[in-house]
Amino acid sequence: MEPEKKGKYASSPEWSNITPIPLNDGSDSGAQPLATIAYAPEYLEATSYLRAVMADNEMSERALALTEDIIKMNPAHYTVWNYRAKILFALEKDLLDELDWLNGVSLKYLKNYQIWYSPSIYTIPSTNGERHHRQVLISSRQHFPTLPTGEPAFLMSMFEQDSKNYHVWTYRHWLVRHFRLWDSPQELSDVESLLDSDVRNNSAWNHRFMLKFGPRDDEPAGLPNSTTLPPEQKGRLDVVDEEVVDAELDYAKGKIVLAPQNRSPWAYARGVLRAAGRGVGEWLSFVSQFVGAEAESVKSTHALEWLVDVYLEDSEHEKKEEAVRLLNLLKERYDPIRKNYWDYRIRMVEGVV
Amino acid sequence: MAEGQAARAGIPALFTEPPPIQDPLVTETTELQNETLEKCLPYLKGIHDTQREPFNQHGVPALQRPDHLEYLYDSLEDYPAGFAGLDASRPWMVYWALAALSLLGEDVSKFRDRAIATFTPMQNPTGGFGGGHGQISHCAPSYAVTLSLAMVGSEDAYKVIDRRAMWNWLARLKQPDGGFRVCEGGEEDVRGAYCAMVIISLLNLPIDLPPDAEVRQYGLDTFIDGLPEYLSRCQSFEGGISGSPGTEAHGAYAFCALACLCILGKPEDMIFRHMNFPMLLSWLADRQYAPEGGFSGRTNKLVDGCYSHWVGGCWPLIQSALEGTQPAAADARKPSSNLYNREGLTRYILSCCQNKHGGLRDKPGKYVAPCYYDEPTD
Repeated sequence: MEPEKKGKYASSPEWSNITPIPLNDGSDSGAQPLATIAYAPEYLEATSYLRAVMADNEMSERALALTEDIIKMNPAHYTVWNYRAKILFALEKDLLDELDWLNGVSLKYLKNYQIWYSPSIYTIPSTNGERHHRQVLISSRQHFPTLPTGEPAFLMSMFEQDSKNYHVWTYRHWLVRHFRLWDSPQELSDVESLLDSDVRNNSAWNHRFMLKFGPRDDEPAGLPNSTTLPPEQKGRLDVVDEEVVDAELDYAKGKIVLAPQNRSPWAYARGVLRAAGRGVGEWLSFVSQFVGAEAESVKSTHALEWLVDVYLEDSEHEKKEEAVRLLNLLKERYDPIRKNYWDYRIRMVEGVV
Repeated sequence: MAEGQAARAGIPALFTEPPPIQDPLVTETTELQNETLEKCLPYLKGIHDTQREPFNQHGVPALQRPDHLEYLYDSLEDYPAGFAGLDASRPWMVYWALAALSLLGEDVSKFRDRAIATFTPMQNPTGGFGGGHGQISHCAPSYAVTLSLAMVGSEDAYKVIDRRAMWNWLARLKQPDGGFRVCEGGEEDVRGAYCAMVIISLLNLPIDLPPDAEVRQYGLDTFIDGLPEYLSRCQSFEGGISGSPGTEAHGAYAFCALACLCILGKPEDMIFRHMNFPMLLSWLADRQYAPEGGFSGRTNKLVDGCYSHWVGGCWPLIQSALEGTQPAAADARKPSSNLYNREGLTRYILSCCQNKHGGLRDKPGKYVAPCYYDEPTD
C-alpha cells in the first residue's frame, strides 16, 4: 500500500508526527476482495492519514485541511463530512466562511453528480453528505439564531440546476421547521416563482402544502393528525382556516386550467379538501368542464377520477352506475396502462373485493 | 425519428403511441418527458439498431442473460481510479451484483471467502459497518453487508458480524420520535428505519433496546416503539410515502417504509392500520407510464429503471395486504391479480433498459449504472 514516491503528506513536516494507517482491503486474508477501486495514490495517501487522525480524534487545522482535500477528491465520502463538522465546532471556526465554501462545493457537486452517478441506484448510500453537513452547521442555534440571509438565494441557485432535487427540498423543509418559516413571504414567493416557471414541479407543490397546512411549532412533521386519527381521516386539521382553504383551492383551480392533465394541482386540491374535512363534491361543476357532456371529450384523467369519487362520496351525490361507466372509460380508453387498478376500483364499487 | 416508423408485429398501440391525453402547455417537465419518450419509442417498437434478436411473438427482445452475467461478474472486480466517488458505496456494489447473480440462478457461495475478506475490515468495534475501512458505521453498508453475507452463506460468513456490537450501535441510531438515523450524527429517514429493521430481524437481535440506550430516557423500550407511527407520518397528502415526515412522496422511500411495516407485522394488519390505503394505491398506480411501461419515482418525474426495483417492490407488499384480507380464493394468484401493468414493466426493462454489453440502465440514452466510464466530464 505504501506509495512508491513520497506523497504530499509523507513529505510534509507538518504531518511528520503522524503514522498513516494504510488501507486494509482484506487482501491479507489471502482472498481477493470484491469491487475494489484502483485509487489514485493521492487519494490513498490522504485517506490513510484520515484514518490516523480520526483514530486519535484529532481536532486541528491540519485535519480540517485534510478533510477538504479528500472532499475535493470524493464528495460522497460521508465519514469525512461527519469528521469535518466535529472539527469546525471544536475549533470554533467561522461557520459563515464554511457556508461560503460549501456553496461552491454543492453547486459543483450537484452538476457533477447528475452526470456522474445514476441518481437513484445510489440514493440509499451517501449522496447527500454535503447537504447534511449544511444542516448540521445551521442547526447550531448559537451560530445561527435566525435564518442566514443568503440561504434562500443559494437554494434557488441549486433549483436553477435541478428544480426537483430531492435532497435540496428535504433540506429546505427542515429549514422551514427549524426557523419556523411557514409564513415567511420568501418561502411562498420562491415556491410560486418555481410553479410559475414549471406548473408541474411537484416538489414545489409539496413544499407549498407543507407551508400552508403542515403541522407547526413543536407538532411532529408530516401529514396533520397522521397518528391521532384513523387512516381514512389522516391529514384532517383540528382547526381549519376556511379563508386559506378557499384561497388554496382557487390557486389550484388556476393552475389546473393551464394544464388539466397535470396531476400535481389535483393531488394538492384533494389534500386541501381533506385537511379542511370537506368533500370532493364541491368541485363537481369545476371538474365537469374537463370531462365534457357525455364524457366523450375528456381533457383530464384526473378530472374523470375526481368525478368517480364525487359519485361515490355520499348519498347526496351517489351514482354508482355512472361511476362504473367512468371507471371503464379510464380503463379502456383514457388510461389503459392502469387497467388493473381501474378494474380493482370497479370491483370495489361493485362490492366484489 | 421513430415517429413514422412501424413497430414490430405483436406490440399493442398502448406501448408505441403517446398517451391519449397530453396538455399543449410546454414546461421543463414536458420537455424532459417528451425527450424521454422519443428516446424510448424505437426501443419500445423493437426497431433500434442496437437491439438484438431474438424477439418473441409480442415484439419483446429476450433477456440477454450471458451478457448480464458477464457484466455482473465483471462488476465484482477492480474499478479504475475514476470510481473513487464510489469508495463509500462498495458494499452496495457487491450487494447489487450478488443479488442480481442470485436472481439469475448463479451460485454465489463461491464468493464466500472474498466477501468475508472484503467486509471484515469495514466493521467497526463499536458496531456496524462503514462503506470501507476506517469509515464510520452507516445503516446502508451495514444492510448491504448483512444481506451479502446471508447470500454467500455459512457459519464463517455469519460469524463476521459482531451481533452484540451491532445491537448497541443500532440503539444509538434510534430516535425519540420512533425513527432511525442513518449513522451517528447523520440524517434521520426511512432508509435508516428499513435498514435497521432488516438487520435486526435477519440477525435475530433482541427487540428490546440495550439497558443503557440513551433513547430510553424518552420513554422508548424497544426498537419498534414509535416506529409505525413515524412511518405513518411519512405518508404525504399525495398518498405516497416520503423519506421523512413532510417531504415529497418518493418511490424508493415508499418501498423502505412499506417493507419496514411488513417486517413489523403482517402486511394486511400493518399497511391498513398505518396508511390511508386508497390514497396510497392511487399514487402507486400513477407511477407507471405509457407508452414507456416503466415506473417513475415521483409525480411528474421520468421513468427510470431503478424504480422497477423500488416501486416494483411495493406491489407484492400491497397485494399481500389485499390478499391477506380475502378468503383464500383459488384464483387469487391469477395474472390479473397484479394491480400494476406487468406487461408494461416487462417491455420497459427488456426493450429499453438492456445495455448493449450487459447491465441495465435507467433509460435509453443514459449510461449503464453503475459501471464503466472513467472520469466525470463536468
